[in-house]
Amino acid sequence: MKVNRVFGLGLAALLLGGTAASAKTFVFCPEGSPENFSPALNTTGTSFDAARPAFDQLVEFEIGSTKVVPGLAESWDISPDAKTITFHLRHGVKFGATKGFKPTRDFDADDVLFSFGRQYDAANPYNKIGGGKYDYYSDMDMPKLVKSIEKKDDYTIVMTLTEPNVAILANLAMDFATIQSKEFADAMMKAGTPEQFDQVPVGTGPFIFQAYQKDAVIRFKANPDYWGGRPKIDELVYAITPDASARISKLKTGECQDAPFPRPADLPELKKDPNVQVLSQPGLNIGYLAFNATKPPMDKKEVRIALSMAIDRGAIVKDVYLGAGQQAKNLIPPTLWAYNDAVKDYPFDPETAKKMLAAAGVKTPIDIDLWYMPVQRPYNPDAKRIGEMMQSDLAKVGVNAKLVSYEWGEYRKRLGAGEDTAGQYGWTGDNGDPDNFFFLLGCPGGKPGSSNATKWCDATYDADLVKARQTPDEAARKAIYDEMQVIQHDNEPMLTIAHSVVYEPLAANVVGYKMSPLSRHQFQKVDLK
Amino acid sequence: MIRFLVKRVLLTVPTFVALIFLVFVAIRLVPGDPVEVRVGEHGIAPERLALLRHELGLDLPVWRQFLGYVWQLAHGDFGRSLSTSNPVLGEFLTLFPATLELAACAMFIAVLVGIPLGVFAAVKRGSVFDQGLMGLSVTGYSMPIFWWGLLLIMLLAERWHLVPVGGRLDLIRFDYDAPTGFMLIDSLLSDEPGAFLDALRHLALPAFVLGTIPLAVIARMTRSSMLEVLSEDYVRTARAKGLSPFRVVGLHALRNALIPVVTVIGLQTGTLLAGAVLTETIFSWPGVGKWLIDAISRRDYPSLQGGIILISALVILVNLGVDLLYGAINPRILHGR
Repeated sequence: MKVNRVFGLGLAALLLGGTAASAKTFVFCPEGSPENFSPALNTTGTSFDAARPAFDQLVEFEIGSTKVVPGLAESWDISPDAKTITFHLRHGVKFGATKGFKPTRDFDADDVLFSFGRQYDAANPYNKIGGGKYDYYSDMDMPKLVKSIEKKDDYTIVMTLTEPNVAILANLAMDFATIQSKEFADAMMKAGTPEQFDQVPVGTGPFIFQAYQKDAVIRFKANPDYWGGRPKIDELVYAITPDASARISKLKTGECQDAPFPRPADLPELKKDPNVQVLSQPGLNIGYLAFNATKPPMDKKEVRIALSMAIDRGAIVKDVYLGAGQQAKNLIPPTLWAYNDAVKDYPFDPETAKKMLAAAGVKTPIDIDLWYMPVQRPYNPDAKRIGEMMQSDLAKVGVNAKLVSYEWGEYRKRLGAGEDTAGQYGWTGDNGDPDNFFFLLGCPGGKPGSSNATKWCDATYDADLVKARQTPDEAARKAIYDEMQVIQHDNEPMLTIAHSVVYEPLAANVVGYKMSPLSRHQFQKVDLK
Repeated sequence: MIRFLVKRVLLTVPTFVALIFLVFVAIRLVPGDPVEVRVGEHGIAPERLALLRHELGLDLPVWRQFLGYVWQLAHGDFGRSLSTSNPVLGEFLTLFPATLELAACAMFIAVLVGIPLGVFAAVKRGSVFDQGLMGLSVTGYSMPIFWWGLLLIMLLAERWHLVPVGGRLDLIRFDYDAPTGFMLIDSLLSDEPGAFLDALRHLALPAFVLGTIPLAVIARMTRSSMLEVLSEDYVRTARAKGLSPFRVVGLHALRNALIPVVTVIGLQTGTLLAGAVLTETIFSWPGVGKWLIDAISRRDYPSLQGGIILISALVILVNLGVDLLYGAINPRILHGR
């Protein structure tokens, strides 16, 4: 009897134990593990999210927006020729201490020089550590844009550019421009373990790194000395949860307070759950069908416009995006300040499309190839299904589209080389600056092997692109971008399909969380009711 | 015995060499290389693409890459992961205890439940229990793991709150070092009250889900093997001598029926490790299965090659162990060799 009672109590503890929770521990359930904790080396949002709590940049994106605000630089001056930016650094900023390293000095200009120097200076002792690939630094054209980065004094950094470019400030708010501790780097080098530098994030951020177990958990605690104010939660735990269904289950059972990247099919039920709040906002992305302007008949803008009018995008957004998308008329999403709402979208009008094709000298039926991506992307939930719907619409105007796809790497390579006639593609913004979208249709990008899948090249558009980069005044820049959107509309190098809507389910007791248009997850302002 | 062991070990060498070659070539037949996968929509200049491929040695002929890899392996070096830059062996050894703990518990459940059920079904041949059990075992065998796992999560975790959804430990309540990587052991070493029970709660559901297919297979195999043995003359003799049914079935029949069951248990090791890939994903279990999936999607050649070679080595070793077990169960087998 006694044995039974003990067994019963044990079983009860086994089944029911472990439900007590610390009041100020916030559990985020990301979908994967970071590659490492040095954002300069990484390219994935998962890795950036994992390191971000511990770090800052010179300038930062305001939480929940793409507005660039002061970070470790409390202010900056741009020279009249827009080729020199002088950053004035914050005083008294502390680095977090972790197991095996206690910082002895505050953040200063040496940390800035080290963090950028690692990425461009082959003589920097860390240049080749951790694989030595700085993809984002290269992708954002930093080697070409930055002439020098110099220390004027301990709290002043002067960045000289090769050409005027106001968009660079947004680049500097990105994760690759994270400022890491030079003192920690030197200590690790001295200890003969430089690779440890990329495994332990020592930074000035709102949280201090505690521990990481691969594919299981990352732990942070609040940084009491954070220059932006101590976070409201005491501990931040990343419980790595790869499966989307498991993330939702964890949210429902209280094992997570934030379960990002839900499947669209789970949303209706989540919205009904009183223990869950579902945040949403238009994604900073665009899914489109690129017409290869170097291949007949796509070299004629009338044909491109006709095909755009033959495709029912409303049906695509309804049936494929399942409501989690917004039909697009411009390359940039409406959340960006440069959006030109005056542009009039082409209607779905197969009859007019037929007439336009005939007027353009296209004898139907005509065969084209229509490429679709083999993978799901944030801007395109099901490219194959969209391809099938386009194929069906195009057949009605006498265009026989053959669906083509390749393995994802191969697809991008061939599309970049201009092998397609028309192909689905897309883009997710890196930093919220309009230039980070408009460059997609720039002429230099029209070369084989580049991001410009349309190969369309318009001299006025290209000149405007450069001019906008050199225009510090936002209103003047907006006027240039307005014109570029009209040029794009009139030439239709791509059929803009949709901007997806991004959802983020949180526990109902979470307050102060703001979704980021850049899909960043930040918790320094979060609290639990 | 030693001669037999040496012979068996030597026989595994060609298997191993063929395996390394197959893994190496098969990965490279998959379109897209690590550099292209990393690039994304940003695109990459052809010169930079060429430079990065050169740095990784991907511009060399495959045979030269292979020889280089074999040379590296001969020195005990599995290379570094292309995505994390950490040594592959180190990453594997960090994650493997979680997989081993899960697989061992799954097999423990499968054996502990499967063999008695199979024996009972054989003894009660044709009964409702027998038919019901065989029906259930077919269902269990043909059930997709991911579906079964998600179903149980929804019922036992979401609806009834009997077990947690995933992970190895309650991350809010417990925070301690895991020196061995085996959470059941580490929880005991931690001296934190309730940690062991919590680790057990986290392990229970994934182990049961992963053990479902082996359980079904073992139960069926035990039943059919027992049925064959129970009709043997020596069993009838044992009964005629007046031995208790327990001694007849448990001692005389079961021991002789175990040979094919042990074979199946050995073969199921591979199934368990393959199943662990899905189970680990569904239950957020930080083992090598999930790690290998990531390596495939990132075309992380060194991790994938190293991981598959190490896991295969384990499967080969387990099967070698099974061969040796035959002798322990039935010494005539050993003497016959």
